[in-house]
Amino acid sequence: MTGSNEYKLNQGPDDSISAVKFSPSATQFLLVSSWDGTVRLFDVGSNTMRMKYQHSAPVLDCAFYDPTHSWSGGLDAQLKTHDLNTDQDTIVGTHDAPIRCVEYCPEVNVMVTGSWDRSVRLWDPRTPCNAGTFTQPEKVYTLSVAGDRLIVGTAGRRVLVWDLRNMGYVLQRRESSLKYQTRCIRAFPNKQGYALSSIEGRVAVEYLDPSQEIQKKKYAFKCHRLKEEGIEQVYPVNAISFHSIHNTFATGGSDGFVNIWDPFNKKRLCQFHRYPTSIASLAFNNDGTMLAIAASYMHERGDINHPENTIFIRQVTDAETKPK
Amino acid sequence: MAEGGDVEWELSKENIQPLRRGRAISALHQALSQQQEGDSSAINQQRQAFESELRMYDGDDLLNVWDRYIRWTEQTFPQGGKESNLATILERAVTRFTEENTYFDDPRYVELWIKFAEHCPEPLDIYRYIQAQGIGLKQASLYIAWSEEYENQGNCRKADLVYQEGFKKGAEPHDKLQQFHKALQARVSRQVMMNVEEDDSDEEPKQLERVSLAELKSRGKKKAIAPINRVGSAIRSVHAGMQSHAAPALGNASNSKLVVFDENKAHAGPSEPKLEAWMAPPTSKAKENEQKPGVWCDVKIPQKTKFGHTVMAPPPPKPAFQPFVDESDQPPTMTPCKINPAVNTVLSARKPCREDTPLKRLQDHHQQHNEAVSGKRQEQSMYCKELLLSGATEFCFEELRAERYFKKMRQEVGGQKDEASASASASN
Repeated sequence: MTGSNEYKLNQGPDDSISAVKFSPSATQFLLVSSWDGTVRLFDVGSNTMRMKYQHSAPVLDCAFYDPTHSWSGGLDAQLKTHDLNTDQDTIVGTHDAPIRCVEYCPEVNVMVTGSWDRSVRLWDPRTPCNAGTFTQPEKVYTLSVAGDRLIVGTAGRRVLVWDLRNMGYVLQRRESSLKYQTRCIRAFPNKQGYALSSIEGRVAVEYLDPSQEIQKKKYAFKCHRLKEEGIEQVYPVNAISFHSIHNTFATGGSDGFVNIWDPFNKKRLCQFHRYPTSIASLAFNNDGTMLAIAASYMHERGDINHPENTIFIRQVTDAETKPK
Repeated sequence: MAEGGDVEWELSKENIQPLRRGRAISALHQALSQQQEGDSSAINQQRQAFESELRMYDGDDLLNVWDRYIRWTEQTFPQGGKESNLATILERAVTRFTEENTYFDDPRYVELWIKFAEHCPEPLDIYRYIQAQGIGLKQASLYIAWSEEYENQGNCRKADLVYQEGFKKGAEPHDKLQQFHKALQARVSRQVMMNVEEDDSDEEPKQLERVSLAELKSRGKKKAIAPINRVGSAIRSVHAGMQSHAAPALGNASNSKLVVFDENKAHAGPSEPKLEAWMAPPTSKAKENEQKPGVWCDVKIPQKTKFGHTVMAPPPPKPAFQPFVDESDQPPTMTPCKINPAVNTVLSARKPCREDTPLKRLQDHHQQHNEAVSGKRQEQSMYCKELLLSGATEFCFEELRAERYFKKMRQEVGGQKDEASASASASN
């Protein structure tokens, strides 16, 4: 199945993969967090694991601060930063409940974490220390940074837009335009909007500008559905990753498919082969030549037998990612 | 009693919703002080614990978890209101067990239905619905609550019939049902006597009069808001105070519009509520303000001249003088609007449908279940939807898995402790 433009990473995690993130500057470094309690750093060019460090419980998300520092958090509710040069751990702080998402905002130079304790916390990465706690109306399920805007997706299908330079009030309170639970939100690299995916096979493209002409452009579409014996099987859309140059994006679903979409012409650019199990996370690298695909069962249908967890690295071409 | 603790609850008495079974004073103190401090994290944690228990429960009495969850919610949020989420929890709880016949005559389940009905705009529809479903037919509490609802709406005859139905079905406990029935009869006869006295005293035409300062009847949990008809049956009848009245009035049958139930004649029962299969949702009744909301800014009321044709009101003439403005008068400083209300509308596209009543949702659920059983469904969700949505708030996959992980950890820790204590006792 695996062609010449795609290979599996060696020494992958022992349990489900929760997130894959590429380095912001170097094209070949990939962070992987997992339910086995580890965060691993891979050199995908040479297909080797460079380093791994341990949390006391499963890790739900990780992010690069700079090429030499990773941040991560998970079920132990502790936020850790790890120096990838010296292999040293620092516990920066804690949430009151497991940490679900970790992101970095380069414009404001702040780390952002979202948790099931219904809060978003900011962290100064230089000291490092807590720089504020901001209560959300519900448990935080996903978040994304667009320039100095922070887009938070919570339980109860709510979406909140914050201004990271002024966290005194919520800039916009929205309701997801999709009917079911929000799975993933990722901002456009051009900072104008975001793509939101739901648990029932749908993706919405929305814009931040509240003016009516811009809001008219928003839309949603069905995807990651399979027809079997006349019944439409609807899968969760777990992962979104944007191509940093073309503003196109890839979606991954529990059906094991990865699709690449052109949001401007509302077209699907391509679909890859079917991966052995659910797509848990996706990441384009910084120049958009590679896509990391985490095929890993997420226990969405209970604790059943499943194929092993694998990370695929796929070389992508302009033909697959550029709007036509 | 301790002085300090009491002050707090004295200050917020009016915010405390009455409960049928009353409130624990300690829980009330705790809830109020927690709200005072604005400390919601403990409440959220407890709520989350209940939610995860609902999903992780593997015993055979899930209703028990719901029941405890609902009691906790009632005690923790004395004000009720939106943040308590009580209406949603009740709805989910009653919906959850609509297919499980074993619970149909469980007093706890019936209790949940009664609480749910009290939160609905049309409680009577709910009572009729559960009767048709065969829920709680042997529970005295159902008939009592149902009858009280009829009585509140001023329909004492129906209220009485509900008790008849209860006796016929052999509802338990029988004593309680009888006691409440007697109380109803007493109230009704008292009312009749009062009516008789009024009829005797003045011969004024029986035109409905608008009564000022009268307490209005509310429908469901909604408070009555003006404008509303302030005449006739809309006014809550006052039963307080037994009027002393000559005994003969009782025998004066021609005056009483109400047939007082006589137990001994019950066999000749003229009418009893028929049990009908519930096929379609009932049309909602008893709505006064039928006018649909519409745009106001363009509406003009046509005015008629004495010649009979309509003219539009002329625009108000401009004043011929210059209104005096104080020189030092500054335009009022506006606090900057965080979200422009003019464009805010586009941000929340999905509005809750007005026609979507709780009863409608119940029936949709029923229908969906039937379709799922008969395999008529067109779509199939490829994840454990039941588990994610089986509580009052939603869970994601990761939360469910985290719960399983924590449970396993606790068991392992427990196991290690057991081993440690076992080895310690062995070494001794």
